[in-house]
Amino acid sequence: MTAPSTVPTSGLRARLQGRSELGVAALLAVIAIVIAVDTANIRHTAINAGVMGPQVVPTIIAIGLGLCAIALAISVLRGGHADAEDGEDIDLSQKAHWPTVFGLGGLILVFALSMDFLGFVIGSALLFFGSALLLGSRRLVWALVIGILLAVGTFYGFVLGLGINLPAGLLTGIL
Amino acid sequence: MDNVTLLMEGFSNALTLQNLLFALIGVLLGTAVGVLPGIGPAMTVALLLPLTYALDVTGSLIMFAGIYYGGMYGGSTTSILLNTPGESSSVVTALEGNKMAKAGRGAQALATAAIGSFVAGTLATGALVFVAPFVVAIAIGLGAPSYFAMMVFAFVAVSTVLGASRIRGLASLFIGLTIGLVGLDGTTGQPRLTFGQPLLSGGIDVVVIAVALFAVGEALWIAAHLRHGTPATIPVGVPWMGKDDWKRSWKPWLRGTVIGFPFGAIPAGGAEIPTFLSYVAEKKLSKNSEQFGHGAIEGVAGPEAANNASAAGTLVPLLTLGLPTTATAAVMIAAFNQYGIHPGPLLFQTEPVLVWTLIASLFIGNTLLLALNLPLAPLWAKLLRIPRPYLYAGILFFATLGAYAAGMQTFNIVILLILGALGYMARRFGFPVLPIIVGAILGPEMERQLRRSLQISAGDPAALLSEPLAVVVYTVIVLFLVVPPVIKALRRRFGRGAPPTSGPSTDQFDAFGTQTSDGSARVIQAVRQGRRGK
Repeated sequence: MTAPSTVPTSGLRARLQGRSELGVAALLAVIAIVIAVDTANIRHTAINAGVMGPQVVPTIIAIGLGLCAIALAISVLRGGHADAEDGEDIDLSQKAHWPTVFGLGGLILVFALSMDFLGFVIGSALLFFGSALLLGSRRLVWALVIGILLAVGTFYGFVLGLGINLPAGLLTGIL
Repeated sequence: MDNVTLLMEGFSNALTLQNLLFALIGVLLGTAVGVLPGIGPAMTVALLLPLTYALDVTGSLIMFAGIYYGGMYGGSTTSILLNTPGESSSVVTALEGNKMAKAGRGAQALATAAIGSFVAGTLATGALVFVAPFVVAIAIGLGAPSYFAMMVFAFVAVSTVLGASRIRGLASLFIGLTIGLVGLDGTTGQPRLTFGQPLLSGGIDVVVIAVALFAVGEALWIAAHLRHGTPATIPVGVPWMGKDDWKRSWKPWLRGTVIGFPFGAIPAGGAEIPTFLSYVAEKKLSKNSEQFGHGAIEGVAGPEAANNASAAGTLVPLLTLGLPTTATAAVMIAAFNQYGIHPGPLLFQTEPVLVWTLIASLFIGNTLLLALNLPLAPLWAKLLRIPRPYLYAGILFFATLGAYAAGMQTFNIVILLILGALGYMARRFGFPVLPIIVGAILGPEMERQLRRSLQISAGDPAALLSEPLAVVVYTVIVLFLVVPPVIKALRRRFGRGAPPTSGPSTDQFDAFGTQTSDGSARVIQAVRQGRRGK
């Protein structure tokens, strides 16, 4: 499963790393601008005319985020960088394996979009199965069986135990 | 002795067969989930929150108390047996605990952690019984300016004092405040950051925020860098302690409690500092200080007690002021809000039965935990060997379930994914997660208090300084912000104490090769420096 990612030269990698943190600063700046634009569009009504309207706090946040973006950019350009989070299951010597990350994200999105049609049981069993495969499980049958058991168990646990009805979707009438 | 009467009433409410069953389920599930590697107490509480949806308020709070303590104990088990602290508070436990386990003394490490947690949790909850009404009595007389000041204090504390980088801590805080902004403005009803999306007008559910940041962000981050093959865990028998272990443990337990509780009780938050202080204190006081670094039992007993005492301490600002200062406390606020309960000084007057039942169930949860976990420890240890693909697939499964169940909206799952991506970025770029969640939860409340302060004074900002407590708090904040850089500058001038320009070298990581996203980097750094100095 360890897809050997192309190993860049260390110089290029260092430069990429620096650049990616500048991207974060840019993102902060973008969020600040979005808030500022959104705040500027708040309609002025009579009720806003009180002491402190709904614009004050968003304005402060936008300014704060903007300042953070600038400070972060300066700090990164001066060579500062943060350490990524480490952990027992984490191997930071490998580069991020994007197919896994985007695959998982895509699965969650598909799960959300198909919930009403497929229902909770089919959707979440497939979510578990797909995630386990993406994360490197080789025992396909096991992953599928565990996924189905989890999904069916949770469904009945919620319906019978907690009185919360999860959508049955395609299996309406069967479950 | 009014509190004692009230507490007894709480016990009589909590000690029904049904409620005991809820507490038992809570403790079992909390420990089982908390013990899973990579799942800290905050994630445990967030993931198990949907389970309490269908219960009545009392039942769910009791189950919650069980989950809370179970999750924390589970976290220490993981630290000791696998060397992977789920939250910064158990980082110090891993230091000596894992060394003990490697030396074949895992049973004793688990025992001193469990009994120490029980002793500290019970004593500290007892302290809560007496301190909380006292704080309430003061807090009830406080006006909006003081509340606003304390919230600013909590913000500054979680974002600049605990983390490794102030800029990143503050950026996290502002991102959290931005998330809290989404929805209709509480006072004027104007939509903010809803982008015309009606589903956003009610704001983003705190459960979704918590699960996204803690569970999805973590799972995605680990997925990107998954180490293949299961790390070696240390099998362990039923925890027990010999006479000598008791002798060496009881004083650290008590000292840890004394150190932990006050740190939890001031709204500066975090068990990170008290656990570290306890570790240092025990190392200094121990007759066996040469064993430190090779598995000294005092180094587990003290910090574990400090951790639990400070967790009970955080309930003081949480219940009396409505200020969450740890990630777990932040998720607990979400649980309260679900029932329309807003922690604060009024809570003790409007819902005394509920509050005292909750406090009573903390005692019960703590006792159940000890009774269950000593015999069950070998079983928990087996959970550590769960294959990683199933573990993280399961986390995603329950995370999406929790987000969906929070409002029965598939839209919540989409939000979950977006905020999960944010959690991933936070881990990748060293942004602390705690300020995000605290900002998102306290932001709207802070705005309300700010408005109130200004309403009274008809817009004059001087009103913010109109109460003595507010002035004191702002002074402390200024000291917090100004003193450390000055010391740093002085050091750079006069000593060779300049921070290392290059990153920490890998050999420094071998003590315990991990750091968590909620700001433990600094403690690790300090411990390492202490080590090297020796």
